[in-house]
This record gives sequence, structure tokens and C-alpha cells, in this order.
Amino acid sequence: MRLALAISSFVVLIVHGIVFYNQFFHRWERHQTAYFDQARALSKNEHERAELDARKPRIEQIIVTQFGESRVDRCVTCHIAADDPRFQGHAHPLRTHSYSTALGDAERNGRWERRHKFSDFGCTVCHDGQGRGLDNFYSHGEDHYWPDPLLGYVAQHGWRDDFRPQLLGIEYMEANCAQCHTEENFAGAPQVVRGRRLYFESNCYGCHRIEGLSDGTLGPDLSDVGKKFKLDYLWESIVDPRANSATSFMPKFNLNAADVKALVIFLKSRRGINYTETSLERYRARLGAPREIVETSAAPPVAASNVIERGRQLVRDRYCAACHKLEKDGVVAPDLSFEGLIRDEDWLLEHFLNPRSRMPDSIMPAFRFPRQDFQAMTAYLASLKTPPPAADSAAAYNAFCARCHGERGNGEGPIALYLDPSPRDLTKTAFMNSKTPERLFDSIRNGVPGTSMPGWARVMDDARITELRDYVQATFVKQPRRELTARRLPDANPVAAGAESAARGEAIYLRRCAGCHGRKADGKGPNSLDILPRPRNLRNAEFVNSLSDRRLFDSLLYGVQGTAMPPWIDYGLSTNDVGDLVNYIRSLNPKPDRNLTARR
Amino acid sequence: MTANPPATDKTSRRSVLNWLSSVALFGSAVVSVFSNLVFMKPRATYGAPSRFSIGRPEDFPSGTRISLDARRVCIVREGDRLAAISTTCTHLGCIVGVAETGFACPCHGSRFDQDGNVTGGPAPKPLPWYSINLTPNGELTVDTSVEVQQGAYFQV
Repeated sequence: MRLALAISSFVVLIVHGIVFYNQFFHRWERHQTAYFDQARALSKNEHERAELDARKPRIEQIIVTQFGESRVDRCVTCHIAADDPRFQGHAHPLRTHSYSTALGDAERNGRWERRHKFSDFGCTVCHDGQGRGLDNFYSHGEDHYWPDPLLGYVAQHGWRDDFRPQLLGIEYMEANCAQCHTEENFAGAPQVVRGRRLYFESNCYGCHRIEGLSDGTLGPDLSDVGKKFKLDYLWESIVDPRANSATSFMPKFNLNAADVKALVIFLKSRRGINYTETSLERYRARLGAPREIVETSAAPPVAASNVIERGRQLVRDRYCAACHKLEKDGVVAPDLSFEGLIRDEDWLLEHFLNPRSRMPDSIMPAFRFPRQDFQAMTAYLASLKTPPPAADSAAAYNAFCARCHGERGNGEGPIALYLDPSPRDLTKTAFMNSKTPERLFDSIRNGVPGTSMPGWARVMDDARITELRDYVQATFVKQPRRELTARRLPDANPVAAGAESAARGEAIYLRRCAGCHGRKADGKGPNSLDILPRPRNLRNAEFVNSLSDRRLFDSLLYGVQGTAMPPWIDYGLSTNDVGDLVNYIRSLNPKPDRNLTARR
Repeated sequence: MTANPPATDKTSRRSVLNWLSSVALFGSAVVSVFSNLVFMKPRATYGAPSRFSIGRPEDFPSGTRISLDARRVCIVREGDRLAAISTTCTHLGCIVGVAETGFACPCHGSRFDQDGNVTGGPAPKPLPWYSINLTPNGELTVDTSVEVQQGAYFQV
């Protein structure tokens, strides 16, 4: 018993001793003592020696207030010779910080003068790391929980081995140069410049937003991505987008390592507000129009005969197949492999210039290419006129319809998630059987304007379409059709259009319709989340303008079977009320002037 | 049961162990008391560093009297001689202004001559002078933790 006590007391004593030693005998003290000794040997006069003798090891710190939040940089506690030119070529940490004309340092009379004086800039403004740390592990940011390890010098444990070595290199520090040097083509930070160019050339801007640079909405906002994430996460997100978020539909761009590095450095430099900017300037930059057109690698005017070839090249280089199906398949957006049969050139060009002009809820980004590039891409897509072979209706359904409507016809095709309005669920008996066969035929043949459903007239002849419609009816609709009862519907709106009627219509709309279709009539009312299929976006001008009055009256008075739209004739709306509503909905969707909407 | 060992042996072994444990525990107690005492004095200060660079000697031509308000020090150069005089009033700590004839405190009207001696007002002590050194990179540093005698100029 006593023996155990004796042993444990010695263990306690030893532990105390170790803690005491670690707490009160520091490596930085040894570094400073070594510095004083070496400096004394190097000093030239008595005064210097006396001054060095008077100095005792202590924590040296630089307080930096000019760059964002105040920093306390204690790096010079160990790197005490950083600004002592006699220590060039010594071993770290007692080594002079290198002088470099690239950093703006100038040599005068054999003596270097720094452009970025440590007393003003501190260390972490450029290097990152934990300024207050006094121990390698913490001050250099090797600690996994420290968000900013020394840029380019430290790769934290746990960073992925396959590109860990790539994350080291002095050029990563350029990301911090860009915190002050925000000029677009700052020569001192070539990697940032290159990354910014790639950001536009690889079309990152189409989906991502960076304040003042781009305003894509599909992907995450990257305005302060450099503050939020470490180098390995940025690298991983570019080369393997699904590594962290399994549902990401960001394409793999197969960039080479040098390009990825430049992009990572550029992204690392995006830290929200910059040191040179005030929030007012930031706000002004946000209001300023984004750049209209990307400077692409000098594109000489193309001869007419080569336009299609040029278009093919552009479509490939710009990763259209990252979403669309064209040779490769991104499984996000529609099949383009026989686009020439589905859309005409006008439609394609307009869709390129403003994807939401004819399809208001399209998620396709508005890319900012020069108009001639769009024209070439349009010409190429319009030249694709070979549909896949389809021997019978089943094959035709799989080739043309299943991508959106799903193999089982339930509207859950592989890309259905990304389409708005979502593809019709063809197994909904109530809906399918409430529409006349002629109406279904028409939807297939001529498409549904304002949605992703194209007209198939040029792919299939009428007989094939009829066959396909009957195939769908027979395969997916479980119950046989019954005779439709005739409905009493006016052919044209009996209520005259006008501000007064629209105002009455709006009053009714807000009471009866806004719950699902939303106050803005964009189909996003409070109830819309519980409803499938989603309520129509009534501001989809392309769609609304394609409807006859008779069709609107039909949907309003008798409801849409198989959806949440009730027959309002049962809930007290008279024909005149519906007339007012129709006038109101029409007033939201003026006939577009094509020339005006061609550009946003 | 075997025969008990002699009583004297037993007590001696016990007392040795007792003695050892008490020495070890006492030792760790001493170490912890000592480390607590050392912890009383903070190692790092959170204020501005007391040693700072003020630039090269060429930045201060002869006849200069510049007040560095952020550092609370006035740099005086006369010929080859440099001095750093505190601009913190010895009365209640306001920043004194640099005037033609010396220093004047705006708060309670203390006045000092060019060397920092009190010439009027409530200030009890003259303004202290700080040590100046030339670092190997050719810049001057002022160390406000080291006061020097009035009139002890630094020779450039």
C-alpha cells in the first residue's frame, strides 16, 4: 500500500515536473538566446553589444490594426532575426526574411529596404497561420481545427493524400496578395489572374456567384469561399465535386493540375470584403452591372462554312455536356443530340442569350459569351438532325420521353428534378382520362410552350405520334377511358378586358388563388410545397399566352383532375368572376416584344 | 503463517516509503505553488509593443520635432543627435502637443520645455526619455520600456 503511494507520488512529481518544464522553458526562449549570442558575435560596436546584453527573452509581438480585425502577430518571437539582414542563409527560425523585388523591396546603397514593413503589415496578413501562437504546431496552423494554416507551407494532417503535395508552394500566398491588390490584372499575383480567367473560361460563373464578378444561382455562392474553406476542400470540390456533397450535380471538369491550382488560389483569394474596400464601395460594386462578355481566347471571325465546326468545338470546350446529353451525358438537362429537329435556330439563340425568355423557370445559367459564339453554337445544334433509331412506340418512348417522364411514366425521369414545371406524371389516371385524346396528341405534336416539352412534329409523323399516344395510354394509364361529359364553356372571354376587370380579378385571385399560386402568381404560394404537381407559374408568359380562353375557363371552372386545382364552379365562382380572373392573369403576361426580351 | 520479520525492519521499510512519498508530494506541491506564482505575472502584453521601429535616420532631418501620436513619442533630432521623448503627460496621461517652445498639455495646461522639464501647470515630473537604437537593418527602434537620462542623445 505504502509502496503504491510512494510510486504514485513520484509519478505525480514527474508529471508536475514535465508540465512545469513545458510551461516555463520555451523553445522561443532558446531561439532568442541563440539569436542574442550570435548577434553579439556579429555586432560591430560596444553600444550594440551593450544593448543586446540588456535584452532578455520575451514575447515579441506586432499589433496590426490596418487590415481587417486587429491581429496580434507573435511570429517574431521565434523568427526574431526576420528583419536582421545579417542572418541571410542561416537556418530557420533565425533567418532573415528574404528580400525580393517582386514584393517591391528595393536595394539602396547595398542595403535592402522592404516595401511591406513587418511593423506595419505583421506576418499573418500574407502568410496566414495563427499569429498568437508560440508553438510550431499552433502558430503554423498545423492544428486541424485552425482554419488558416500557413499558406503554401503547411498541409494539415487529414488533407487528402492524393493531392496533398500539390497544396504546398509559395504561389498559394498570392491569394493573400489579392486581399489588397484587387486590380483585375495585378502582375504580382499571376496565379490569381489565371484563376480568375479560368473562372470565366471554364464557365464557373454560369452557376456560381461571386459578388461583383458573377451572379449564378445554381451553385453555392463563392464570394467568401476563401474564408470558409481550406485549400484541400477547395481542391477536392473542383476535382471531385461529389466527394463532399453526394447530391452535387457540378460536373467534373477534368482540368489539369496547374489549372486547378490557379483556380484554388483564385478561390482562396475570395474572402468577402477586401482590405482595400469599404462596405460602401462593396455595395457600389454589387450595384454595378456585371461584365457583359467574356474575353475568350482571341476568336477570329469564322468563315460561314466553318461555323458549324466552330460551334461543335465551342459546345465541347464549354462543357455543355456537363448537364446536357450530347456524346456525353450530364444527366441534368435535356438531350441535345437531335436538337435541330426539336427547336429552331431562333429559339436556340434566344435561349442562349436569355435562358428564361422562353422558359421562365429554366435553371440554365445565362452565359456571357460573345454573340458570334452563340451563333456558332446555335448553328451547330440546329444541324443535329439525326434522331436515335426507334423501331416501335416502346422504343420511341424510351428514346424520346423517358429522360423526363421516366421509364415507368411516373414523371420521375433522371432529369425531372431539374425541370420546372416538372414533367407530367403519365400514370395519373384522373388527369390523363380527363383530357381528350386530341389534346394529348396536340401536346406531343406541338409541345407545351414555356416548358421543357418540345414539339415532336419533326421527329415523328402524325401516325407515329398517334401510336405513341396510344402506347402511353395503354401502358401507363391503368383505367380505361370513359366518355367525357360535355362542359359548358365560352369560346372567348365574355368579360371585356380592361383595368377594372383585372382589378376585380386580382381581388378574387388574392382570396381564392394566392394560397397555392402565390401572391406574385409565380406558383410559389405557401401551400405549393405540399402539392404535386406544383401549381402553375402564372407568370410564365410563353405558356399562358399559348392557352385559349376556352382552355383557361375549362381549368378554372371545372378544375384540373389529378392535380390540386379544384373545380371553382363548385365553390361559387360565376362565369363572370372567372372572366375577371382570366383578364387578370392575361394582364400579368403581356405579349412579349421579342427584340426587347432578347437580352435581359 | 511464517515468522514475522523483525519489527525494526518493518518500521524502517515503512518509514522509508513514508519519507519517499512525503518528499515526492511535497516536491509536487512546491512545484505547483511555484508555477502558480509564476503565472501571476502575464508573459504577453496585449497593448502596443514597447519596442518599435520608427524608420531610418534619414527620415528625420536635423531640426525635426515630430510627434508620433500612435506611439505616444516625440522624435527630436538636432544635428547627429536623436532623442525620443514621451508625449504622455505625467499628470493624468493626456497626449501633450508639440509646440515651438516645448510641449503643452491640452487637458490641464501643463507645460514642458524642449527637453521635457516642467515649466508650468500641475505635471509633477518631467517627460521621460526613451532609449533609441539602430538595428542592423538600418532602422531606428525606440524601446519605451527603457527610460534613459534626460539629455542622453543617441548619436547617429
